[in-house]
Amino acid sequence: MLSFIIRRLFIAIPTILILIVFSFCLMYAAPGGPFTTERNVPPEILANLEAKYGLDQPFFVQIWRYVVGIVTQFDFGPSFIYTDQTVNDIIAQGFPVTLTYGFWSFVVAVIVGVSLGAMAAVYHNSWLDYLAVGISVGAQVLPNFVMAPILVLIFTLWLGWLPGGGWQGGQWQYVLMPVIALSTSFMASIARIMRASMLEVLGEPFIRTARAKGLPMRRVILGHAMMPSLLPVISYLGPAFVGMITGSVVIDLYFSTGGIGQFFVNSALNRDYPVIMGITILTGALTVLFNLVVDILYAWIDPQIRYR
Amino acid sequence: MTVTRTLRLTAATLALAVGTSAFAADKHPVTGETLAEEQHFTYRLLDQFPTLDPQLNEETAGFHVIRDLFEGLMSQDADGNLIPGVATGFEASNENKTYTFTLRDTAKWSNGDPVTAHDFVYAWQRAVNPETASPYGWYLELTEMVNAKEILAGEKDPSELGVRAVDDLTLEVNLNIPLPYFPAMTTYATLFPAHQATIEAHGADWTKPENMVSNGAFVLTDLVLNEFHTREKNPMYWDADNVIMEKVTGLVINDANQALTRYKAGELDHLEPLPAGQFPALQEELPAEATSVPRLCSYYYAFNHRDDAEPWLSDVRVRTALSYAIDRDVIVSQVLKGGQWPAYNLAHLKTNGFAMPDIPYSTISQSERDAKAKELWDAAVADGVVPEEGLEIDLIYNTSESHKAIATVISQMWRQKLGVQTNLSNFEWKTYLEIRRDGQFDVARSAWCADYNEASSFLDLMTTPHGSNDGKFSNETVDALMRESKTSDDPNAQYTQVEKVLYEEMAVAPIYHYANTFLLNEEIKGWPYNNAENNWYSKNFYRVVLDD
Repeated sequence: MLSFIIRRLFIAIPTILILIVFSFCLMYAAPGGPFTTERNVPPEILANLEAKYGLDQPFFVQIWRYVVGIVTQFDFGPSFIYTDQTVNDIIAQGFPVTLTYGFWSFVVAVIVGVSLGAMAAVYHNSWLDYLAVGISVGAQVLPNFVMAPILVLIFTLWLGWLPGGGWQGGQWQYVLMPVIALSTSFMASIARIMRASMLEVLGEPFIRTARAKGLPMRRVILGHAMMPSLLPVISYLGPAFVGMITGSVVIDLYFSTGGIGQFFVNSALNRDYPVIMGITILTGALTVLFNLVVDILYAWIDPQIRYR
Repeated sequence: MTVTRTLRLTAATLALAVGTSAFAADKHPVTGETLAEEQHFTYRLLDQFPTLDPQLNEETAGFHVIRDLFEGLMSQDADGNLIPGVATGFEASNENKTYTFTLRDTAKWSNGDPVTAHDFVYAWQRAVNPETASPYGWYLELTEMVNAKEILAGEKDPSELGVRAVDDLTLEVNLNIPLPYFPAMTTYATLFPAHQATIEAHGADWTKPENMVSNGAFVLTDLVLNEFHTREKNPMYWDADNVIMEKVTGLVINDANQALTRYKAGELDHLEPLPAGQFPALQEELPAEATSVPRLCSYYYAFNHRDDAEPWLSDVRVRTALSYAIDRDVIVSQVLKGGQWPAYNLAHLKTNGFAMPDIPYSTISQSERDAKAKELWDAAVADGVVPEEGLEIDLIYNTSESHKAIATVISQMWRQKLGVQTNLSNFEWKTYLEIRRDGQFDVARSAWCADYNEASSFLDLMTTPHGSNDGKFSNETVDALMRESKTSDDPNAQYTQVEKVLYEEMAVAPIYHYANTFLLNEEIKGWPYNNAENNWYSKNFYRVVLDD
């Protein structure tokens, strides 16, 4: 197991390096640059700006300096647009926000999704099943950019219970609506996957054996059926978790949370090269990490994988 | 909600009971209006401002904040007139090429240091220093300050800039040419003072709330990117006794509809701009709060005048016909619906001191314009300039709902009136700028906003060397007149002539002059509705208790 983890971590390094080079090339291929504005800046000023940020250097020098800066000093450079901030500042400010609402969305989506899916499967074809399926389909077709304004309309304008946006260091009133808006569609997907896989497991011979032994229904479900039913859910959860904690531009936009998602999109539109790179590397590293976590969880849950 | 209101009412009743003297202090000293207990103003920012460094700033959103945090030599009143700021006044000499400002001895930085002429010298030298690499350094070139251009190009040392501190309270500025509006230019951020010790101690971090030392009516107390910032009254400000507003909060809310919901929920006192097309409805719903004021920007379609452009574009009849066929009233009243003005000339009609030129096609009816357009078009067809089988025009714009709506309407007008086929292409902003700059278009959506409230800020755009003249219009008469206007006592004469040439040549097709639509809570007073540059200073605001 340990060698498996070490081997996987070792592969992660070249993966991220390739990601850096690839993103760097793509970024430079995009038309326009960070200092392209409606008002054409005079050439002497453009030259000063390019010299300040090292953009006057050849491409290979730029990418080399960039990688060296990261490896030796963990320095992702200054933002070209938010001139008072470095990329490290931006990530340090935005990532905890995203991590907070992403984590809670994940917890809510998993708990509600798994329970809903399991309930639907156990009470297959009953009104509970139809209700659960109805809820998950409803949640699925309501994308978060529709959910967000509706939530603000209800909870801020009509009821006056919650602030319509902001973060204020993550006080619960500010976290609630982003979590609801972000978790619903994930919750719906988890419920659907869980229901289907639970139905399949419930038809397996070992469940029939458990029932034949006279075990109470609760123990059959929780003790025998639950773990194997979770396998497909877990393979979905890895990328879903990364998706949630690396930010949702929609949540950041609608709730003014100051999270990383909005910086990511803005940096691409602004051609803020260091910020694009910084957040891409962060997202890439997290994706690699959580894919590994999923694999480890898989091995833990499913002995077939462990012993293979 | 109700509980707070009841409590507040009780508090007010108590205050009344305690005695009128305590209450009298809560009256506005001039108007006598009852002041609210909490003097706090909250407004919406569309986007996060990139910087609060006055010398690096190039955006309006940042300028709104910087104007509160810092004060320049001169300032503006509610009507946009020039009033003393840090300087009590100025004297022009050497045929308007030298300006001597006298600074007030009561001006202080937020840490208690006096504001001196040296702080301005430091800030201005910093703005042109190539190491600072300010994207707005060219503003000093625009002021024609001696050596600004050479310093920016790295040919001279920043210390050679044409500004010097004669003593602590006297600042002398030397210009290359007489520039009557130089004092007005000192109201912009680039020419605000800077606190040298703070900048040297903290480097790029000096604008963080915990480090910043500023000299305006407010100080920065909190800033979270893409979320909010707060600024609070600066007790060190020389005129702090007359500042009623205690705190200003700016909330970044990207989505216009979300912002509107939050305004209606009472989370915002000011919302700008309003969601597209909603102004008439909001004016009906909230007549005392919805307002439209002029904004010094002009929207136009640029024609491609490059030598390698389509040959028919070089025919003035074709350009004129295309321009005449645009029904600007439809665009303003049916598409935009925000109080904009149909435009037939380039400079905004509300530009300070600008005498609107007499443009013949602005006074005739649209059907007459259409008839004239058809006549010119047919003549161009008869001469073989325009092929008889019709024309295809490539019209480009940057991706946006309102640009798309305007482009669609105009392409329909051209098709119906002139039989022109228009190919619409939209691009993401930076891509668009590059394509437009490279001249890959026949007609390009463009807009221009004035840097300062003077017609030359618009008209210079049509001169040959101007960096943002993306249509590459070039006319010797225009160039000569604009050069002449710089030193003229009454530049309006030249401006009128320039507008006339632009019309005769149909250099661009002007479409509309901008208006700003916004909602302002009735409790907030002191808004400068008549400042055409929309430069608001929070120190002039106060919150009142409305009589129900």
